[in-house]
Amino acid sequence: MNASFLLFTLLNTGFILLVSPLFMSLIKKVKAYAQGRKGPRLLQNYLDLRKLMQKEVVYSPNSSGIMRIAPYLNLAVLLLASLFVPVVFIPDAPAGIGNIIVFLYLLAIERFFTALCGLDAGSSFGGMGSSRLMSLSAVIEPTMVIAFAALAYVLRTVNFHEMFAITAGSTIPESPTLTLISISLFIIIIVETGRIPVDNPATHLELTMMNEAMILEQSGKNLALIELTHAVKQTILMAILINVLVPWGLVTELTFAGLAVSCLYFLLKASLLAGLIGLFESSIAKMRLFRLPSFYMMAFFFSALTILMEVFA
Amino acid sequence: MISSFIANPAFLEDIIRILFVFVLITAAFTLSTRNIASLLTVYAVQSLLMVLIAIFLYLIEGNKTLIAIAALTLVSKVLLIPLFINLIGEKIKISRDLKFNYLEPTASLLVSIGLILLAYVFLSGFFSEFILGKLFFMGAVIGLSLTLMGMLVMFSRRKVITKAIGYLTMENGVLLFGIFVADLPFIIEILIVIDLMILVLLTTILAIGLDSTIEEYHQRLQTLKIWSGREN
Amino acid sequence: MLEAFIYSAVIALITGTVLPLLYRSKKSRKASFGLSFVSSIFLLAFAGTILYTGKEPVFSAIRFLPGLDFTLTADRLSGGFILLIAAVVPGVSIYSVEYVEHAKSEARKDLQAALTNLFILAMLMVVLAGNMVCFLVFWEIMSLSSLMLVLHDYFLEENKKAGLFYFIMTSLSTAFLFMGFISLFKLTGSAEFGSLSYPANDLTLPFLCLFTGFGIKAGLVPFHKWLPYAHPAAPSSISALMSGVMLKVAIYGFLRFLLSISTPELWWGTLILIAGSLSAVLGVIYAVKESDIKRLLAYSSIENIGIIFTGIGLYLIFKLEGIESLALLSLAGACFHAFNHALFKSLLFLGAGSVVHATGTRNIEAFGGLIKRMPHTTTLFLIASVSIAGLPPTSGFVSEMMLFQAYFYSSALPDPLLKVLLIITLSVLALTSALAAALFVKLFGITFLALPRTRCAQEATEVPKPMLLGEAVLAIFCILSGLFSSRILALLGFDLGIPDMLLLGLILVGTCGLVWITVRNSGPSKTRISKETWGCGILDQFPTMEYTSAGFSEPLVVIFKKIYRTEISSTRTYSDTKESIFNSGTARIHLIKFFEERLYLPVAYAVSLISSQVSRMQNGKLDTYVLYVFIAVLTLMTFTRYFA
Repeated sequence: MNASFLLFTLLNTGFILLVSPLFMSLIKKVKAYAQGRKGPRLLQNYLDLRKLMQKEVVYSPNSSGIMRIAPYLNLAVLLLASLFVPVVFIPDAPAGIGNIIVFLYLLAIERFFTALCGLDAGSSFGGMGSSRLMSLSAVIEPTMVIAFAALAYVLRTVNFHEMFAITAGSTIPESPTLTLISISLFIIIIVETGRIPVDNPATHLELTMMNEAMILEQSGKNLALIELTHAVKQTILMAILINVLVPWGLVTELTFAGLAVSCLYFLLKASLLAGLIGLFESSIAKMRLFRLPSFYMMAFFFSALTILMEVFA
Repeated sequence: MISSFIANPAFLEDIIRILFVFVLITAAFTLSTRNIASLLTVYAVQSLLMVLIAIFLYLIEGNKTLIAIAALTLVSKVLLIPLFINLIGEKIKISRDLKFNYLEPTASLLVSIGLILLAYVFLSGFFSEFILGKLFFMGAVIGLSLTLMGMLVMFSRRKVITKAIGYLTMENGVLLFGIFVADLPFIIEILIVIDLMILVLLTTILAIGLDSTIEEYHQRLQTLKIWSGREN
Repeated sequence: MLEAFIYSAVIALITGTVLPLLYRSKKSRKASFGLSFVSSIFLLAFAGTILYTGKEPVFSAIRFLPGLDFTLTADRLSGGFILLIAAVVPGVSIYSVEYVEHAKSEARKDLQAALTNLFILAMLMVVLAGNMVCFLVFWEIMSLSSLMLVLHDYFLEENKKAGLFYFIMTSLSTAFLFMGFISLFKLTGSAEFGSLSYPANDLTLPFLCLFTGFGIKAGLVPFHKWLPYAHPAAPSSISALMSGVMLKVAIYGFLRFLLSISTPELWWGTLILIAGSLSAVLGVIYAVKESDIKRLLAYSSIENIGIIFTGIGLYLIFKLEGIESLALLSLAGACFHAFNHALFKSLLFLGAGSVVHATGTRNIEAFGGLIKRMPHTTTLFLIASVSIAGLPPTSGFVSEMMLFQAYFYSSALPDPLLKVLLIITLSVLALTSALAAALFVKLFGITFLALPRTRCAQEATEVPKPMLLGEAVLAIFCILSGLFSSRILALLGFDLGIPDMLLLGLILVGTCGLVWITVRNSGPSKTRISKETWGCGILDQFPTMEYTSAGFSEPLVVIFKKIYRTEISSTRTYSDTKESIFNSGTARIHLIKFFEERLYLPVAYAVSLISSQVSRMQNGKLDTYVLYVFIAVLTLMTFTRYFA
């Protein structure tokens, strides 16, 4: 653990925490404009978080310690995961930090405990959300692993820090497989953050009950933490896609100018990507629940083709 | 800078590889989509990808026949055939093909992966990659896989229109195999296009309307006392 | 010195076996479990020394008959598995001190205590065995003692069936092992284990026989069917020992064979890999549908054994393709997964035993709300669930990560088709671990959280202290083995490039604390407990509004319905000939037990058909038997004259 890594922890985590709510509201704004209305202002998410922090937390009498601990644990896990995805600069990290397998399973911890929270209060909505989410995320898991395996095959390393160092060193993507992997990563972003066509993040209706249903019982500070967790997850998944496909601006040395440039570039690229996600969401409809495995199967076919192309050619 | 990109063969090869993946994706969509309109769009996109592959291969190889093939495919398969089927489709309202024979879409995608592997194993027994060059070998594999997936479409879907698109996909696969493995003489290409036109025409006439299924066709023939065959 | 450890452990276990049978009292049962606890301490010391120093002691052989001697040897492989036994037994023995008192009669309590010790002793001797005869003798003792333990509640019909099934399968396993060992003996002429290099002959027959024999005992698909019957039937501490240790002893036997061959073949590796992946995914898919807590855990054991076999298959493939570092990583991953699985599966079975004892039923649909009534059991069960779901920084994650890492680096393999096979099995492994997480969300959530669904769950109380203490010992080992995994592996001399869980765990705890402090200091923190959970306007909340276990797994059952093969058959009776006035009807939803109906039953019918034909030869009349002897003498005379 050296000074560079400590500085990285503070800067990276701080930056990601700062900009995550911005991207969520940017997506909402793009969707609103696509629907012909103005939508909430860009800083609304920050104001919402502040409002939630002032409110009291209401617990159901049936709930247990899981409900009390899970929001804190989830945010801590996502912040730890954000250390694996360098956004401001690439540090000299200890060996384990940045391993893609650890990253995947850190996201799994967050799903596990959120699903338990859904079952905790004993309501049917929470149970429904937990059951649907755990089942469908089991079906998308092979696609995620194959996409990450394709990344590992192309870049010959299993560490994000090393991967981004390699991609940052070249202007065009190293291999055509990276372009194809980016499409898989885009689908993974849509699935993991519960956007249309997988789940509608704007409603709590039964038709769209997956992610939103599990957090129905949360309130006050806990809800603020969960919203922030969701935003951070969105940002780091977007960061992986950006750093794989268009890594210009990511620096490996710690200079003030370099940091400023890379933060600015990241804001620009991530805003474009957020706009793209918003447009994608506005252009298709949510799929029926049991049609989703066919969609996931198509995504798996695509990732399998990508890695086969890498293996055969 | 653009011209330096275009002159760089490695870059062009990369683009062709990406186009290969997209071609197989269009075949996968043909296997699993339930909406006839999107089926036609997918077929048009697939033919467009063929045109692009032919153009990029011309940029690598410099063989003028490829430009002719590209132009012919563009006119016939991207523009004319979908237009034709659309015109017929407007008269007979067809919209959905819901049922599957033998293979659900999920299973057919898994089988497709197996088909691609099988095509690879089979072809590597014939040509070694080093005789042909990696890109051309991949092209041959993708062409053969596309043909096999087209055959898969033909037996696993019910409506005749989907079967016709499956046959057209098979033709695309043969075309792809041809441009990568052998120099396809122009005249054979024209013959293939005429072949396709006749096929589409015949399908329109023989099938009692484009929204029928083979079962209805048999039933019609039975009522006309042409076929006294057993129940399917 | 090392011999002293083993001899004391063996003597302690023998005394523990004999004591409850001689002096029948509660004190002697307690003493016998205390003796097994003591023996595990000795075994821990022994295993630790061997693993750390790498000595390979050979104990003196006892000669029973000429040609039939027992040799006991130990090396690092057996040291690892003795460590596994020594880690599981303390927890189980402390737990059993209280648990055994729940049996119905005094005689059976004594018998259970005695047999547990005998079972542990037999497993220990199998791992220590130095030659084939010793191995087989103690293998049989292990099977028979576990059979008697499975038949503990023999008066229940389902237990009788379970016991019979288990007996047949384990006899089959021993038969295959005999065939395998005899064919090996014929090839070399020696019955010793150790660093043998068998001549590069055709080892196909021994490999297949031993693979089948050990596969039956370990619970590999398609030989797995006895596991879901036997584990629920046995008492929970015995299920823990069987699932945690006995299955791993089968793995040890298989590894011992594989590691002594100097020239294995590639198709062995691919066969093991495919069988392992298949077992893993089928095990977890069948587990998802279960609502009997112990049967669910039994299917989950099948899944984890599949993962271990995947690791072994990868080891063979990488070794034969020459990539030593990945081969070592896969083998270490497989063995470490065996160790971790022993720990958390035993903990899960003990916890299940507590829950079953407290509520009186094994059906998950009857549980609920136990977190308020049995808080300590819940915490320990949560630790085990998080481990088995494979979440960092627990031990279950580390071993799966080692396998994933071996997969991710497999771009170094030269053969593209082999890489394609690895990619396919990688996606199957990913599916398995995600389904396992879903499974344990269901198990933990439905059993412990929300409201109790029946009276027996409502009136459940915490179990007595010894049971909790036993589980706590296992839980502590579980946590330590996870956090210190990279340190332990480095200590043993394996230089694998795996991330450090201790660092991750510390950062996680630190971040959690930081978040908590920040949130506490920002704004007033009021909390309030509402009257009831919001039910969209319904005023009273009943337990029937909660999600049930079958409801939770319903999306998965629908997605994988081709694998579950539910058959719906219906009959209808009508009052008239034109079938228009409906009278009554029945409908049956029948889950086709694929392996039972398509594999086991046809084989069983074929065997009984053949044996009924053969039994016609024995019709009881003396004259027929004299006729047989006469024919035999005539045949022998002609044979020796003309053909010998």
